[in-house]
Amino acid sequence: MAAPTDKPRVVPVDDFVRDELYPGYVQAFGSQPFVAGPVRPFSKADNARYWLRDSLHFSEGMVPASIATLDDAQTWGAQLGAEIVGVPPTLGSVNRLAGTHVYIGTIDVDTDWQIQSRAARFGQYVTPVLRDFDSYWSARAGELQSAYDHFDNLDLTAMDPAQLWTVLKDTYAFHRRAWFIHFEVMYVLTANYLALYALAEEIGLEGSQVSAFLSGQQTFYSKTDEALWKLASRARELEVSGPLTHADPASMRGQIETLPHGRTWLSEFDAFLATYGQRTEETCRIDTPSWIEDPSAPLYAIGTFLSKPAGFDFHAARQQAIAERDEQIEAARRAINGSDLARFNEALASNQAANFAWWNEEHNYLIDRRAAIPVRRATLELGARLAADGRIERPEDMFFLFKPELYGLMEAGATPGGAKWPELTAMIPDRRAYFEDWRPRGPQLPTMLGTVPDTVPDPIMIEVFGLSGHFLQTLKAGAEGATELRGFPAAKGVADGTARVITTVADIHLVQPGDILVCGGTTTEWTPVFGIIKACVCDTGGSLTHAAIVSREYGIPCVVGTAAATQIIKTGDRIRVDGRAGTVQVFPSGQV
Amino acid sequence: MTEAPVLDLGDIRGAHAPHVGPKLARLGQLAYAGWRVPDGYAVTVTALDGWLPATARGDLEQLLTGRTADLSQLADRARALIESQPLPSWLEDAVGAAHQRLGDRTGHGAGLRVAVRSSAVSEDGAGASFAGQYETYLGVTGIAEVLGAIRKCWASGYSAHALEYRRRFGGAGPMRAHDLAVGVLELVDVRSAGVVFTLDPVTGDHGTMVVEGNWGYGESVVSGHVSPDHWTVDKASGQVRTRRVGAKRSWSVFSAAAGRVTLEPIPDSLAGEPCLSDEEVRHLCEQAARIEAAEGVPQDVEWAIARDTPFPDSVFILQHRPETTWIPPAGKPTEPAGETAKTFDPVQYALRNVFKVRGA
Repeated sequence: MAAPTDKPRVVPVDDFVRDELYPGYVQAFGSQPFVAGPVRPFSKADNARYWLRDSLHFSEGMVPASIATLDDAQTWGAQLGAEIVGVPPTLGSVNRLAGTHVYIGTIDVDTDWQIQSRAARFGQYVTPVLRDFDSYWSARAGELQSAYDHFDNLDLTAMDPAQLWTVLKDTYAFHRRAWFIHFEVMYVLTANYLALYALAEEIGLEGSQVSAFLSGQQTFYSKTDEALWKLASRARELEVSGPLTHADPASMRGQIETLPHGRTWLSEFDAFLATYGQRTEETCRIDTPSWIEDPSAPLYAIGTFLSKPAGFDFHAARQQAIAERDEQIEAARRAINGSDLARFNEALASNQAANFAWWNEEHNYLIDRRAAIPVRRATLELGARLAADGRIERPEDMFFLFKPELYGLMEAGATPGGAKWPELTAMIPDRRAYFEDWRPRGPQLPTMLGTVPDTVPDPIMIEVFGLSGHFLQTLKAGAEGATELRGFPAAKGVADGTARVITTVADIHLVQPGDILVCGGTTTEWTPVFGIIKACVCDTGGSLTHAAIVSREYGIPCVVGTAAATQIIKTGDRIRVDGRAGTVQVFPSGQV
Repeated sequence: MTEAPVLDLGDIRGAHAPHVGPKLARLGQLAYAGWRVPDGYAVTVTALDGWLPATARGDLEQLLTGRTADLSQLADRARALIESQPLPSWLEDAVGAAHQRLGDRTGHGAGLRVAVRSSAVSEDGAGASFAGQYETYLGVTGIAEVLGAIRKCWASGYSAHALEYRRRFGGAGPMRAHDLAVGVLELVDVRSAGVVFTLDPVTGDHGTMVVEGNWGYGESVVSGHVSPDHWTVDKASGQVRTRRVGAKRSWSVFSAAAGRVTLEPIPDSLAGEPCLSDEEVRHLCEQAARIEAAEGVPQDVEWAIARDTPFPDSVFILQHRPETTWIPPAGKPTEPAGETAKTFDPVQYALRNVFKVRGA
């Protein structure tokens, strides 16, 4: 036996290195890690299909570093999820960028054999999951939570750049895994929900009622709102309301500190942040801080709540919502008979046990608003070392490097294109200017690019974004000069009032108590504003969209999926929202 | 909340559970769905709120903060103090009107005999710990007696709550029996009573229904004091498959003297006789199957047959609840046996009607 040696043994591949597999063959990617390609800019060929502006998830532009997280989320995660679950009509989604702004397209399955074989797989995968959804989801939630525990407890400041690079690679791997979980669960639950929806319509109920049958569960987000209202009422008790309602968020902390009970309130606020602050304002965006880093958003929310004279009784509202829900379920049951009733009860029980309405809110805390935070922290910490070494000017410059570039530089000293640090850092100012140039253009971009279809074959896209036949028709015909918009009746009630058109969450501070909010779509970050508005109208969204759920919670009318509300309605217009009929009437300002 | 202090059973729905307690709410829902249930009315939690006058509350707090160690003695004194308080006249009027309506509806008029039952609203542990202390009065006649029984039911709630609070926290607690409503239901003169299971509770077989019963009130069957008569019925065809006459040594009867249902030795003439005809057995199974279909899960259904009333008007449904023996524990996958009875498969339905997969 040979003596052990420290020297690694290399059997050289040099003899086998070639440019081509066979003479004359130019290698192309036969199988990428994506079913249908990573995030790309638009090309002419894209005119043949539809592309929907996804302002629901990405209302602002993407910096270069966020392209990798977007890739792993809505492209890779959706495609792997659709593949593993075997969703029959879709292979998931693809993304295109207009400038820096995100569009989403779907990949339809277009042969019968593939649809049939996916359907068989789908049954095998989904049936056991729905039978025991609790165990299935808690295993995944546990996996995500333990990853956060790991990353949150790392002392990044004590690490050298090599260690930080390892952590950054780990956070990317985790981010990708989190998004696979996201889509795996989403596809399963949407199918369950849409089955109940379709059954309801088959047996003579309104499909739009169904989401209300599943409401009333407490989510991490409703708990966050409740905690914020509590902090508002504590601010009144401790007499620190002044700075919260009048000061700029950046100077609020300092002003509160000088008040007699200021420190008490701030310590309660910090305790809130420790529990609820691990979230960012948008999905996948490495350049947005968490609430812990920048608490402007929760401070703004508290200020908004303080502008209402009374608090909001969450307990009473929830009790009432539950009583209404049960009353609606009972009414539905009375309207159905015989075997239909048995089927309805089983479909409802399946949805109560595996509840998309609940998960749709709950998962944001564990995935959408949090998964990119570990990547952000490691990126900025590594950026700080690179800045100290003079490689880049400041840590935030890292946002303007693409992940493959960073990989090349960190592992091989050069990007795949052969660029080294000085050449790359020279590009950062231009990239930053490009991002800034595109930033304000998001709200003006068309809702859809390419060929507007008559119908969308993927029922999940229809549900999530509200791509009904009516929606598509409105886009086709154009809605210029329209005085009535139609959409999905998301929350009942009628309200008259003044429209406030808001196209980015950054502008929600412009919303005044009593306004009717008109927007592209809302996410959890918009929630505080629902405490002061009279009604809500959105361009996109279906029955389970965030705006629909929160409007029901706060008892205000809501219409979603109108396709063109933000284009037709101007701030200051008087409008009437009928949340049961799903209509919005527009009376341009000056006209009564 | 502006809620009527007294609700007729016909106006009670499942959603009224916070006001009248889950049992009465379920009974109202059953009545609404068209089942024959004992008619009645409920005095809601809202009516009870704030009933006890401030002076009586003061006396009660003094009593409870005193040094009496003997809890049963204390309970008696607390109860006597509460029972001595008159009901407010608006409430007496509302109960009087509801009682008269009930007399008219049942056709018994002033001769109406009723059961007055405490109905705990909370289904949590607190309610359970008071369970034995909440009262039921059977065979009550006349509005004066009814008002007295309502006051006693409430007093039992106050004293139980107060004593529980004292036991846990010491001293006097908040004097609100906030989780107690009272139901006043016509007293059915019961010939036979028992339970239908919409699946075989022993084997879990969804194709078989089981009926158990005895002569007299259902308490003897529910409490397990007798070996009841036993029928198995084929669910699909409705045919009675097996009949077994139980070794019934006792039965539950209403004793006017005791004012409650008591367990007595059964007369020899009844002991060896089945308490139901096949026709009644089949009818009960039909009713139970419909309740199961409406609820979506297997049920056990308590029933009673009234004496001297022509069939099928004689058949009353008293209450139903999910049959828990064969529901798999939460978090465990369903056994294949449980699936055969399912009529809706979300996966197959989604493939067919959502994803429109051809031939699915």
